[in-house]
Amino acid sequence: MAALLQVEGIELAYGDVAACRDISFTVNEGEIVTLVGSNGAGKSTTLRGVAGAMRPRRGRILFRGNDVTRMRSHERLLAGIALVPEGRKVFPFLSVRENLEMGGFRYRGDKARVNSLIERMMDTFPRLRERSAQRAGTLSGGEQQMLALCRALMSEPVLLCMDEPSLGLAPIIVQEIFRSIRDVNRAGTSVLLVEQNARYALETASRGYVLQTGSIIAEGSCEALKHDERVKEAYLGRS
Amino acid sequence: MSDFLALILQQSINGIYLGCLYVLVALGLTLIYGVMNQINFAHADFVTVGAFAAFFSATRLFTKWMGMSDGTGYVLSIFMALAAGALLGLLVNAAVFAPLRNRSDELRPLIATIGVSVLLENAQLILFGPIPFQFDSPFAQNTIRFGKIFFSEQSVLVVIVAALAIGGLYSFMKFTFLGKALRAVSQDRETAGLMGINENFLIALTIVIASALAGMAGALLGPVIVLTPFAGASVIVKAFAIVIIGGFGNMEGTIIAGILVGIIEAFTVQYLGSGVIDLVVFVLLLFMLVVKPTGLIAERREENV
Repeated sequence: MAALLQVEGIELAYGDVAACRDISFTVNEGEIVTLVGSNGAGKSTTLRGVAGAMRPRRGRILFRGNDVTRMRSHERLLAGIALVPEGRKVFPFLSVRENLEMGGFRYRGDKARVNSLIERMMDTFPRLRERSAQRAGTLSGGEQQMLALCRALMSEPVLLCMDEPSLGLAPIIVQEIFRSIRDVNRAGTSVLLVEQNARYALETASRGYVLQTGSIIAEGSCEALKHDERVKEAYLGRS
Repeated sequence: MSDFLALILQQSINGIYLGCLYVLVALGLTLIYGVMNQINFAHADFVTVGAFAAFFSATRLFTKWMGMSDGTGYVLSIFMALAAGALLGLLVNAAVFAPLRNRSDELRPLIATIGVSVLLENAQLILFGPIPFQFDSPFAQNTIRFGKIFFSEQSVLVVIVAALAIGGLYSFMKFTFLGKALRAVSQDRETAGLMGINENFLIALTIVIASALAGMAGALLGPVIVLTPFAGASVIVKAFAIVIIGGFGNMEGTIIAGILVGIIEAFTVQYLGSGVIDLVVFVLLLFMLVVKPTGLIAERREENV
């Protein structure tokens, strides 16, 4: 199976401080892959590198066989990579509907397509329809997360990157979000999931990589990782 | 109609006319700040360039050389000023803002705009000299009268042109994909990029729109200010005050604050004399800074976690 996303030895830095060193991993077509690790391990930075919000200092990123390392984030979106950023980052002063429209910015010439996509999102999450005219900043955290997810899906991505979708949300809402992620994946979108809550992540994904202080220290199927001593000790707690 | 009511109406109309002029200047400042977090200190000179572009096209190009009537010439000169402003914006973006962006340094572009200002003022000083030009609008002498209320055709023209420009900009920002994307960029530039929005293009567009508005304001202000290479300075301080009162970076706030300051100025002239206008405006500014420092409408990056 050809790799959809192939990250080869990237190094990402904030100023002079390297946040990730020599990160390599792959995402295959149709997979859910997760990067787990504690706070500050460099997961979000890696994801930002994949989505183009940060440019790597070293290494390269191949997407569907093309080198996208030098592409800026808006070009990567057109290539098929969408990111749901950490902290959701909905546009607080745009309405819910306008947020979705921004997600579909690439289809701006095709109003009918944007509208039908919005309808589809609102059918999946009726709450968004109820609040369609409301400013996104006034939504609850869970609603914002759903909006951010739908906004990313508006571009009909090939690879959906999710950064800490459970952050600050109630468990019941987290379950709903993860259910949606699985639905999205079943519909054919590959998912790269960064999550601090390793238990949820390993249950949702098929393969995983474990990051620690900017490097990958373990990788494998999620079943195997769940039983890996290092992972158990550090992230799952003994049960 | 009682004299008092007529007076109130008269000064309100004068105030709206003044306010429209201020709003056109202030909107450019607020747009650029909203989208880039930058203050363009050359904005006043964009107004001056617009005024000169309008002056030469109204008094020479369209009338003397192309043989149009004074009225048509002046109306067309407003578009010339608009085009001159837009072109200048394009140049300044390419020469200053674009190369200095993404260095995570907000001071450098700011200082560079001061440089642009010095450059523009001195270039115009060489070209046009320090002696004020007499820029008469053909509409200034014709007055329209309703009972006890008078206003010039010029002020009607100003209000119509400003209303079209402001209304056009407002609908652009509210109803078009590109306008919404502009607001998205101003709320969160990085996330806008993740939506497939090319923020560099939108920033360039913002600067062009802001500069075109400044140029247009120059054409409308030309006949009422002392037209020298430093003419823009006479309105820019008030424009800054309006931007702060309205809430830095907020379009609706700027429009409301601009009209408000215009009306306050008109009544100040009536009751306190024209000498204290700046005093009153800046007392209002101080008052706002004390009472509501975020401005009339606060729409800046608030926490939304």
